Amino acid sequence: MQHELPHTVQEHASETFGPVPAVSAKAVNMRFGNFYAVKNASFQLEQGRFLTILGPSGSGKTTLLRMIAGFLTPTSGEIFIKGEAVNAVAANKRAIGMVFQKLALFPHMTAAENVAFPLKMRRFDARTIPDRVLQYLKLVRLDGLENRRIHELSGGQQQRVAIARALVFEPDLLLLDEPLAALDRKLREEMQLEFRRIQKELGVTTINVTHDQREALVVSDRIIVMNNAEIQQNAAPIQMYRSPENPFVATFIGVTNVFSGKLVKRVGDTASVLVGEQELSGQSRLGSSNITRFESGAAVKCALRAEQIRIAREGKPLDKTDFSFTGRIADVIFEGERQIYVVDVPGVSADPIRIFHHDQDEFATHHIGELVHVGWNTNDMHVYAGIS
Amino acid sequence: MGRTQTVLFRVMVTFAVVMLSAPTLVVLGASVTSGNIIQFPPDGFSLRWYNAIVGEQTLREAFIRSVQVAIICVLVSLPAGTLAGIALARYRIRGEKLIQVYLLLPFTIPLIGSGIGLMLAFGQAGVLGSLWPIGIATATINLPFMIWAVSSSAASLDPDLELAAMSCGAGPVQTFFSVTLPAVTPGVITGSLLMFILSLNEFLVSLLLVDARIVTLPVQIYNSIRSIITPDLAAVSVVFIAVALSAIIVLDRLVGLEVFLKSK
Repeated sequence: MQHELPHTVQEHASETFGPVPAVSAKAVNMRFGNFYAVKNASFQLEQGRFLTILGPSGSGKTTLLRMIAGFLTPTSGEIFIKGEAVNAVAANKRAIGMVFQKLALFPHMTAAENVAFPLKMRRFDARTIPDRVLQYLKLVRLDGLENRRIHELSGGQQQRVAIARALVFEPDLLLLDEPLAALDRKLREEMQLEFRRIQKELGVTTINVTHDQREALVVSDRIIVMNNAEIQQNAAPIQMYRSPENPFVATFIGVTNVFSGKLVKRVGDTASVLVGEQELSGQSRLGSSNITRFESGAAVKCALRAEQIRIAREGKPLDKTDFSFTGRIADVIFEGERQIYVVDVPGVSADPIRIFHHDQDEFATHHIGELVHVGWNTNDMHVYAGIS
Repeated sequence: MGRTQTVLFRVMVTFAVVMLSAPTLVVLGASVTSGNIIQFPPDGFSLRWYNAIVGEQTLREAFIRSVQVAIICVLVSLPAGTLAGIALARYRIRGEKLIQVYLLLPFTIPLIGSGIGLMLAFGQAGVLGSLWPIGIATATINLPFMIWAVSSSAASLDPDLELAAMSCGAGPVQTFFSVTLPAVTPGVITGSLLMFILSLNEFLVSLLLVDARIVTLPVQIYNSIRSIITPDLAAVSVVFIAVALSAIIVLDRLVGLEVFLKSK
């Protein structure tokens, strides 16, 4: 369970003698009537980091962001910015810049007036405002367009105005409320890198909210995955991808096959499970504390990523995998940079298994209806506690 | 659209346009007669009746009074209607439905009813005989127009706009004046001009609230009709129509008529 250690140790250290985290939340709840929008959320974010809160719609990620911004007050629990409790601090008294989902630029103002607005409201010296506005418009590469009205700017340019407006007063924290969701793919990917560049250039602590797992992996230093109002995992992108803490995280990030099975036995970090008629083994992610709960026969869920399964023509068995089965190609999906084989493996899973195939030369070597060998290694399959 | 439908559609539109513009055309025609009797088609062409009304002091004074009433009406309804319109469109208010119904009352109660009510109220207060009660009265009965114009503007406002202002450091008052109000300005302009025209034209309620010293123009015209009908009344009416028309043109120039027509 090596992957869990750094996280806990780090958290503990910063609580006692490390530097003050830029943002932290302690047991934050947001309840509307009987409905929890956010339940028992706790996390810490170090200065200068880029955090993405990732989750499906309705998972509570936007509610959490709005509590940090000060638009909502937690029902219980406390949010800290630079170590100070801010539940009682109004949104306009917090030094937080925010880029909104629909940008919320002021339509009756020019680009420059939009960027100057926070400086005026925050009583910056009027003589320094024009220079500062120009400096930030330059940062977002909009110099020369300062006198355009908002509706005279393209979608990407409007994004840049919104970023400049959020950053111009040098906030302690930058919040991004899915501002890229409405853009087409090309522009979205361009803006993701742009956010990354600006964040690195200024070193401003940033919290981004999105439902786009790709965006989360690309831009973040750290990812929090939320579902059903609760934080599922808080980890660095690579750690999150390689060691998802539960089946939800495993399936939400990446393309993952999930098999239901029963635990046979557990030895250290390896769990043997019965899936269909097959006995398989995988990395145990059943937790270490509660061994008795996971007796043999307990329901488990096994997660296996599409890219970790090998595939080979019938008669050319896979020799480098721990397990190997025979299946039949049910469908072939071409996605450009990769190809997905959908394979029926009746002995293992009732649902067909999805497999990525990245090798360009080998594309379309398997056809629908063909018999193939599929296989994977023990370490690539994660075994979680399942609900029976 | 089929051919028959097209023809039917054109006939209906032509009919509607003729019916709507006929009174105006008749009045316009009658006002340029060179004869002494009001009639259509006119008897010759002259602008002598326009000359006559310029010289007519009672008409001129009545017109000025009407404009004053309209200005008072706008001054009263502008803050009240703007705030109510924004509140109804943007915030969840307890008893919102009830307030909406209440604001609709002036439409459902016959004007003569609200007129008499206002007359009694102002009479009790002992303020009848001045112009401002008429301004307030016309503001009261026409306020729903103002509220609708503003709330249709406010309803299309991005709710995040005010949150964005807050995250820029603006307090509630600054947010209202620098973001909310500018965003609903088209609705406010539309509503104000509408209120101005409605108040300028208001006849029935004015009739109940004026006395001989402070007659407004519509009442003055009505009084004249009861004695001798001369072509100068047609000329006054044309001036009246021209004022309303220019208000509409100003409206179109400032915010575009679409906004006005889209007002619920």
